[in-house]
Amino acid sequence: MSSSGSARTVDARLSGFATLPWRRIILVVLGSTIAFVTVAGAYKTLTLPEGERYSGDFWIDQVVNGLGQGAILALIALGYTLVYGILRMINFAHGEVFMAGAFISFFFADAYLKSGFLDSNTYLALLILLIVSIAGSTLVAVLLERIAYRPLRNAPRLVPLITAIGASLFIANAFRGFFGPQPYGYPLPTLLQGSIGIFGISVAKVQLLVFVTAIVAMVALQLFVNRSRTGRSMRAVAEDSEIASLMGINVDRIVVITFVVGGILAGIAGVLFALTFQQVQFTMGFKPGIAAFTAAVLGGIGSIGGAALGGFVLGVLQAVGPPLLLTGFGIPSPFSLKDAFVFLVLILVLVFRPGGLLGSGEAEKV
Amino acid sequence: MRAAVRIGAIAGIVTIFLAAVGLIGNFTELNLIGTQVTFAGVMIVTPPLLAGYVAITPRIEAGRLIELGRGQALAAGATAGVLAGAVFGAFVIFVDTFGVERIREVFINISPVLMDYLTQGHPAIVAAAILVAVSVVAGTAGAGYRTLPDPVRRPLGTAVWVTLLFGFLQRIVPIALDQLEVERDWMYSKVTGGLTWVGATVIAAVAAAASVLKARKGDAIRGAIRGQRDRRADGARLTPLTFALMLVGLAVVLIAPHVLGSVISEVLGTVMVFALLGLGLNIVVGYAGLLDLGYVFFFTLGAYSLALLTGATLNTFVGSTEPAIAFNLNFYVAIPIVVLIAAGAGVLIGAPVLRLRGDYLALVTLGLGEMIVVLVTSPWLEPLVGGPQGMRDITNAAVGNFGFRDPKHFYYLAFAFVVLALFVSWRLANSRVGRAWTALREDEQVADAMGVSTTAYKLLAFAMGGAIGSVGGALFAVKIGSLTPASFTVLVSIQVLGIVILGGIGSLPGVIVGSLVLVGLPGLLREFEEYRLLAYGAALVAVMLLRPAGLIPNVRRSRELKDEDREQDKWASDVAADEHVATPITPLGEGAG
Repeated sequence: MSSSGSARTVDARLSGFATLPWRRIILVVLGSTIAFVTVAGAYKTLTLPEGERYSGDFWIDQVVNGLGQGAILALIALGYTLVYGILRMINFAHGEVFMAGAFISFFFADAYLKSGFLDSNTYLALLILLIVSIAGSTLVAVLLERIAYRPLRNAPRLVPLITAIGASLFIANAFRGFFGPQPYGYPLPTLLQGSIGIFGISVAKVQLLVFVTAIVAMVALQLFVNRSRTGRSMRAVAEDSEIASLMGINVDRIVVITFVVGGILAGIAGVLFALTFQQVQFTMGFKPGIAAFTAAVLGGIGSIGGAALGGFVLGVLQAVGPPLLLTGFGIPSPFSLKDAFVFLVLILVLVFRPGGLLGSGEAEKV
Repeated sequence: MRAAVRIGAIAGIVTIFLAAVGLIGNFTELNLIGTQVTFAGVMIVTPPLLAGYVAITPRIEAGRLIELGRGQALAAGATAGVLAGAVFGAFVIFVDTFGVERIREVFINISPVLMDYLTQGHPAIVAAAILVAVSVVAGTAGAGYRTLPDPVRRPLGTAVWVTLLFGFLQRIVPIALDQLEVERDWMYSKVTGGLTWVGATVIAAVAAAASVLKARKGDAIRGAIRGQRDRRADGARLTPLTFALMLVGLAVVLIAPHVLGSVISEVLGTVMVFALLGLGLNIVVGYAGLLDLGYVFFFTLGAYSLALLTGATLNTFVGSTEPAIAFNLNFYVAIPIVVLIAAGAGVLIGAPVLRLRGDYLALVTLGLGEMIVVLVTSPWLEPLVGGPQGMRDITNAAVGNFGFRDPKHFYYLAFAFVVLALFVSWRLANSRVGRAWTALREDEQVADAMGVSTTAYKLLAFAMGGAIGSVGGALFAVKIGSLTPASFTVLVSIQVLGIVILGGIGSLPGVIVGSLVLVGLPGLLREFEEYRLLAYGAALVAVMLLRPAGLIPNVRRSRELKDEDREQDKWASDVAADEHVATPITPLGEGAG
């Protein structure tokens, strides 16, 4: 090693630099800055002079909106968590699975609106829309698994991730090719327009529907995973796929079922999202997809309860956080920073509590 | 036979897909050769052709290698063709019965033009029969091609794809020929837009001859150019012939913008900006193995900080205003500052997130990339960077009176920086730092145990990659002279990642080729703009499934892979064995190019 004298000094310098607890220093500085900004921002916002201050009703509205969006996020997040639990991979294209269902159901909704069926038989029409959306999402999810992921089951972990990014681009742009780049207005049945009061709080009817449907779907999922034979197999594969296969479980079949379940949930979320925002477009999968992934990580990825909790928490944070923290600093239109806020939450969770809210907080898992 | 039936059916579905996204109907007028070979025609023929080719892949069944004889192979190809034609024909009949206009209300690209093209005025049943016949011919040809002996097959294949490529490049090659004042009417017809049959024949003959020459004398030629290889070192000795070739190559590169004209120079400028970004990301992803999906962060940072440092102004509806903080530095003073800012930012964002495992790191960086875009758009930073309207009056990096805004001039500025970045990357790869990165990429724990400071080297990779990427951003600002947030989307990150991956992770020539293919081609083929991202996605998936090492694999990396035990590479052979599953994707990747 005598010939590498100069190289060794470089290394010594580098390791000298590295022996300082840089990570910890940066984390502490970052953590205290964020804590300070949060407290100061919230304090300033809430003590704004009368007239500029938000009313109490505003905050209630924000929380209700947040819960509604959180329910949708939770449904998508469950898809991420299920796939991650079984395959230990991030299904980057899951946002597109969600988009597919919403987009396909649009054409039915539009036809029903024109024929009057949507308003005359609202419940039946909504049920059909759900089924169509579920079928579309599930088909895309299964094809995705079969074509893009299965051949790479044992590949180094970055390979399927890159494939997933490619698949995501491909699916979104295939829909653009099929149906065109323009956004379509999704009809809202008359029955769901307006709002009703619950305990003195005014809630939009759509949001009530979203909330109820999402809760029902989550309970059904919980029962399926915990009570059914297939659900037991899924948990076994998630625990250890090799041993599960030795126990006579067909792992390929379980993986497909996982994608189907994820697709069903994404399909439900698709209709709910379309009814809430009344618009579909081929790009609509990206941002909810990332937000839902954040929700899954926030709750602790791989855990079903965590994904549901993460969805609701993130939904509320997203709705309440920007006005609460930013208005006080005089930052104009805080809602334009909503997406940045989601990413900030994602980064902070991964940095400070990588195991998520319900996770064990183990660093190794991440 | 079962395999052939399955692959044929898949090919039929792929053709329907191509029709539904508009790759057939929108290009019925795009003549490649004469008026007979159109892009739409190629799109119809390619899936059954590939199906025929794949259908006869030798496979292992019950421990025996099954290879088909020529007769069987042709039969299998024809079967695949029948199925492909039948599926697609059924689609044509269905659309015809159901009514094009009704389907078009949903599927906007299934248009009367498409149906007119597919039926050519015949009734749907007849048209379907014709499509089946065409498919059978294509499938049989695909299978037949594969059974040809090598000396015939190679030149034939080369001739076909090179000729089609030249037909495809009809907006580029004629312009270049015009600039060179070469007579080109014999080759490219002004009437059809595509190649003439004479031109096609000549190109095919030249391509075939080159292929034969390469097969016969390839080693001798390579030997003469590279000189006798030293057995122990990688470097080749410099022979006079090598030196002369290098000089000629350099001269060609240097006079290129004057020969090719402004349009192509402009595209080449963009290619080089992306090559810079690719070189930067290559350090992070290729050398150190950290997947960064938010590379647009450094691109944006470089562009905006250069604009601020060199005294650009904010766009407003009525004119322009000074930003809240204004500097007025020279471009060449500002660049080192931009690089330092980016390297610092790389360390700052790297430090908290580097402990994360690969896929999490990817998503956090994706988030950072999105965040900076939201920030530059937000009303909050509007007084500094102009919000949605962006900035203008960015320096043209003039030396004396020689500005670099003109595409032909910008080419040289970008070229200089690309060469610099190439040199830095190349030296880094072979240095102690580069080896430390390799160790990190291959096995972090082992590297740590061997005394490589993982944190320091990861941060160094982030800083170096960020620095090079920010130069790309700064040059981009100089090139277009004004900035709007619309240029800085997550697609930039994905495009750069595509360049690195398609070219071959960790390979420098791969980055250059990747940016030429992924940025240069789409830049010149404007009519395919709508399909660019579709092709991108398909290409990313196809490369990962079929050729995970990229177009031009990194030499050291592939050698490492060869030496490793089979276990590690098992997935690659699984991919090869599963090839028939993956193939439906290829025609899109190649066809939409």
